[in-house]
Amino acid sequence: MTTLIYSLLPEAVDPALAFQGGVMKRFAVLQLSGCAGCEVSLLNADAWVDQFKLVYMPLVTSVYDVPEVDILLISGGVRTDEDLYRLRRAVKRAKQVVAVGTCAISGGVANLGDRDEVREVFLAQAQRHHVPRLLPKTHPVDAYVDIDLYLPGCPPTPELFMAVLEEDSVFKPSKIVCQECGRKKIRDMRPKHLLGFQQGHVLPDICLVNQGYLCVGTSTRGGCRAPCPRAGHPCVGCRGPSDVFIEKESAVWFTSIKRVFNSMTDIPDEEIDAALRSPQLALFLFQFSDYAGGERAIRPKEKVL
Amino acid sequence: MATLTFPLSRIEGHAQVVIEVRGSEVLSARFQATEYRGFEFLVKGGPAEQMPVIVPRICGVCSTAHHVASVKTLEDVYEVTPPPLAVTIRELLLLGQLLQNQATSLFIFTMPDRLDVDSLFDLSGSGLSEDQQAVMTTHALQVRQVGTHLIALAGGQFIHPVKAVIGGVISGITEEAAAKMREELVWALPIAIELVDYYWETSLAMGERLGTWGDDEPACYITAVGAEHPNYYGDVLRVMGCDGSDACTSFSACDYADYLTVEESEYSYAHQTSYQGNVMRANSLARVNLVQKMGTPKADAYLARFHEAFGRPAHAIMLFDLARGIELVYAMERSLEILAEPLGHEDTAVPYTPRDGEGYGLVEAPRGPLIHHYRVEEGKIAHAEFIIPTVHNMLAIERALRVAARRYVTSSGVDMELEKAVGRVVRAFDPCIACATH
Repeated sequence: MTTLIYSLLPEAVDPALAFQGGVMKRFAVLQLSGCAGCEVSLLNADAWVDQFKLVYMPLVTSVYDVPEVDILLISGGVRTDEDLYRLRRAVKRAKQVVAVGTCAISGGVANLGDRDEVREVFLAQAQRHHVPRLLPKTHPVDAYVDIDLYLPGCPPTPELFMAVLEEDSVFKPSKIVCQECGRKKIRDMRPKHLLGFQQGHVLPDICLVNQGYLCVGTSTRGGCRAPCPRAGHPCVGCRGPSDVFIEKESAVWFTSIKRVFNSMTDIPDEEIDAALRSPQLALFLFQFSDYAGGERAIRPKEKVL
Repeated sequence: MATLTFPLSRIEGHAQVVIEVRGSEVLSARFQATEYRGFEFLVKGGPAEQMPVIVPRICGVCSTAHHVASVKTLEDVYEVTPPPLAVTIRELLLLGQLLQNQATSLFIFTMPDRLDVDSLFDLSGSGLSEDQQAVMTTHALQVRQVGTHLIALAGGQFIHPVKAVIGGVISGITEEAAAKMREELVWALPIAIELVDYYWETSLAMGERLGTWGDDEPACYITAVGAEHPNYYGDVLRVMGCDGSDACTSFSACDYADYLTVEESEYSYAHQTSYQGNVMRANSLARVNLVQKMGTPKADAYLARFHEAFGRPAHAIMLFDLARGIELVYAMERSLEILAEPLGHEDTAVPYTPRDGEGYGLVEAPRGPLIHHYRVEEGKIAHAEFIIPTVHNMLAIERALRVAARRYVTSSGVDMELEKAVGRVVRAFDPCIACATH
């Protein structure tokens, strides 16, 4: 449909300028199994309202199938047979396919349900009649379809959504969350034990690692503007591994994050090791292509915003 | 026998309605939640202290309610009482969520029904001028955003907030930040009121056009707010019986199983609740029926107007929508009051010692009372339960769907208005499916 409209424009008009010719780019949001947090975040990026035509997003539109679009945003993981059916059907109708949010990219927090001991009980109790069947485990969307761009975050911020929609080539997110946090690293403040994620009184303005918190902002992709560590909560890494790690195996990161803590603290390695297996880090860890097991292609950093 | 399946939109999450008819007889109307992630299973074995960051992911729309309920549950396990400042800031968090949610439900989910269009983002068929359309969309999003800014201020992030911690909150709110927020609320309040008034009028007009306000049979009503100055932080549960008497049954979250029957459904991933065998309703209409005074001037004027026009308790389901308007105004007025208090001092949290045990946490989420229940063994979650407000409305939704189906399925066939009616009925309850199934 969009192609048809473009073809009506004089040839001299650059499709990128189509909006100025009165034709808005059309985009859709396919919601798979997730929490709708990505959609809620997109609603806060209200700058798109005047620039793009939202033609499908069941949360806010009464349209029941994905039409032809320029951009398809996919949120949520593939948890049911219906998710899979709708995913395969929708991507055929889009010029550009973007996986948004941690669930679409890695399965997200639902991966915690894929531990063998949990899965057995879960699947045994989940049987129902007349509803979509659950797949044996949760999957990222690129296990089934080709993705042009990944936008990680739980959820990605409104600013990041706009950067994707506008194909903003000027927008360059910081390499890591640390660069956006504004807390100072202090040389002689070396905690001896880990406080975990939340315990204790948080000092303002001082790096959370210096205070003994398990903050992974040193290796998490920037671009969110660090709302959590700024507010005093350690970064749990929802934006996933930074460019340095994204094409590597998770083992490389485990070694590296320990090195960070060794250089900034006197916390014993065993404490760090145990803490790095936290469920809270699921948002981060499952974004490594190898972490959940199985054969999954590495996501090239050029494709990740 | 014919089976009519209606997909749903402009609600949170994945669900559908299936109505079975034989001739002009409506055999059944089912509300099916069709997604499931299994949070009560996937949190098992995880460190209890991480729950306040994991469980908000149950729902991006209701993440604030889960965040606060989770912290309250762990404080119950650890027997720790947060300082008053922390409780105030958490109340502010929940007001931000109420404001955001009611604005979303009113203007994004249900306003299109009043204007007979598919979406707030395409009002071309609404009969409004182009300028009016642009103003409507802009204002609706602006009011909603004020709620998100309030959550971000009190919670650090507007989705999946982080600032409530076991024992308190991470930090207070500086006078500078509070002043900025007050300014925004003062600016947005008249815009919200204008939208609510417009919504009220168009709702009455729609009711007249349709000749019905939907299911208006009596039901029981449940809430966790008190009769005056409702505080969404949650204290005890109250149920108003089907007789509508103010002599409510009160009980604590830990005793919920003695009063509420929560059952699995064989055709839906969501459970359903009943109260002594009766249909129960939660959400805005339950609160407005159980609350006698909001305690802020403009909201009280709306409440008086509501009670006078529709009686108390009021039962017609379209009144859920109007009740949300009252709460939208209340959330803004009450936030302004709280933000005028000193919130910047240091007593934000008390220390705690983790220990094993069992705990319950209750908050009044926009959709009704939310209960978290954890059992902690060796510092890890051994058992977790999430008693979700939408689940309390499941039987009420199905009853209202039957009423609608009987209206539009007649001996001369199925009136296709039924499709729109199904959407209106479900949206009146503003169900959240991600939460209901979790």
